[in-house]
Amino acid sequence: MALRISFHRRFVTATVFFLFCVFVLPAIAGAIWLKVFTSAVIFALAARGASLVYAQLGLVNLAQIALVGVGGWVMLRLNYATTLPFELSLLASAAITAIVGMLLSLPAMRMRGLYLALVTLMAAGAFQILFTAFQFPNGGSGFLGVAMQSPGEMRRPFLARSDAAYLSYCVAVTALCMVLVFLHERGKAGRGWALIRQSEANAMAAGVDVTLFKVWAFTLSGFLAGTAGALLAGALRLLDSKSFPAGESILLFALAIVGGAGHWAGAVIAGILYRVVPAVLNDFGLDADLALILFGAALLHAIITAPQGIAGQILSASAFRRSAT
Amino acid sequence: MIRISDITVRFGGVVALDSITAEISDDVIGIIGPNGAGKTTLINVLSGFVRPEAGSVDVDGLNLLTLTPFRRARWGLSRSFQKLQTAAELSVENLVRVGLDHCSSPNAEKDAAIGRALEFVGLSRLRNTKGGDLNSQQQRMTEIARCLVNSPRIVLLDEPGGGLGETEAEALRTIITDIRSSFGAQVLLIDHDVDLIRATCSKTIVLDFGKLIAFGPTETVLRDKMVQAAYLGQGPGQ
Ligand SMILES: Nc1ncnc2c1ncn2[C@@H]1O[C@H](COP(=O)(O)OP(=O)(O)OP(=O)(O)O)[C@@H](O)[C@H]1O
Ligand SMILES: [Mg+2]
Repeated sequence: MALRISFHRRFVTATVFFLFCVFVLPAIAGAIWLKVFTSAVIFALAARGASLVYAQLGLVNLAQIALVGVGGWVMLRLNYATTLPFELSLLASAAITAIVGMLLSLPAMRMRGLYLALVTLMAAGAFQILFTAFQFPNGGSGFLGVAMQSPGEMRRPFLARSDAAYLSYCVAVTALCMVLVFLHERGKAGRGWALIRQSEANAMAAGVDVTLFKVWAFTLSGFLAGTAGALLAGALRLLDSKSFPAGESILLFALAIVGGAGHWAGAVIAGILYRVVPAVLNDFGLDADLALILFGAALLHAIITAPQGIAGQILSASAFRRSAT
Repeated sequence: MIRISDITVRFGGVVALDSITAEISDDVIGIIGPNGAGKTTLINVLSGFVRPEAGSVDVDGLNLLTLTPFRRARWGLSRSFQKLQTAAELSVENLVRVGLDHCSSPNAEKDAAIGRALEFVGLSRLRNTKGGDLNSQQQRMTEIARCLVNSPRIVLLDEPGGGLGETEAEALRTIITDIRSSFGAQVLLIDHDVDLIRATCSKTIVLDFGKLIAFGPTETVLRDKMVQAAYLGQGPGQ
């Protein structure tokens, strides 16, 4: 078909965008905007996890923000309890969150559609309660590690102490995770997922262990959420139990759909909508809640005219231009 | 040898299979019968998609019914489906490769097996075409290649000839006949095309309303009065 862009072109575009975000963006952004962009990158990563499960298996996971909270909790816990380098704590947080994500997927084996969405949303609600009850570690004593005033500090990676360097660091980690997802989609997992979403019977007949592949998708999604949470802990240094309400997962999921579920760029757009747009509105002296109205309109737009999301529209527009010339 | 004993399947009030017993040892066996006779249900029982109410299936001493569908596939039981469902985004090569993804053999070996299966069904030049760009005959052939790629023991084909033209049906005939010699698998073939059954199957099972009404050498079975009556006088031979 004419509307396919070559792999080569897409690779170049992704690389240029990556280099821009690593080198140019941190250099030109002011202090406040560094924080905004860092958090946008982090939530783009979390959105990729939710959109992956949706695009590959058609399953809705509304607990992604809660998993980001889990990743953040583990990261802070490890920071104060151990002297592990940032990278190792990051990996451990991601791995532990991946296991939590895997457990969340167990209902997915029996349910789909609305019921699964509701079950994950209830799980997110449960985490919200846990976060409020136990708070996030800030260097206090005991397993929960909460003190009235933080006696310690969340360490950042050796190479990325400043906010600007930390933004570059987050972009690099996010890009690595996106590559991980890409490799999954291209390989055995992607083949299994494609068959499952076409027909589970067909997949089984081809020898695909449908349960394993579903669990796998959720585990990978949890891994991304955990990485995002750990990066967020490094960015903010302190996490607030009120930052991970269940409803935020719905918003992030909706934005991932608006951005485009099947593509990394869709997740980036979701991150921008989720964090940059409200900040821009704020900057203009407008109420940030206005963003919600914008998002609602964008979601309607996506559902009605752009099933592939904004990323899909940009892709097909550029493919169309190319085929026209 | 596939030994099917007393298999009974009921869907609510419908008896889809009524105490079916058959021993299958030929290279290619046909399964025919009018619409709703229970042909697909029999294949679903063998491949694990329908759990029979009673009966057993034994293949060379293995109780097949204890395995889940994907384990049966990995054990060497391949099947195609009456309704085509091809994942549109995967290339032909990847659609076939799925059948090998559970194996630990080296990549070069897998590539070779894929090449051989595609060559066998005549799809070599479409290796990189996406599933969504295939016509229905090409989709059928991709499915057969997937069935063959992991050196199966048994291949169950549910109406692979559905909607094929004259030359395509001829190619399918050759393919089915050669499966045993090229891949070593036994074939069970469901089809409404009696010419295809006659050309490929040494023995044929005839089902009607869930009952096995005939099982024997294809020619004998097709001349059977009861079989001709089951086809409502359409006379499968004419
Ligand atoms: N999953 C199911 N649930 C309920 N009834 C079913 C189911 N599968 C099959 N049946 C019924 O069982 C009977 C046998 O169906 P089956 O699909 O095996 O027929 P068939 O011989 O393959 O027919 P066709 O030639 O039309 O493909 C039919 O009456 C059908 O309606
Ligand atoms: Mg049928």
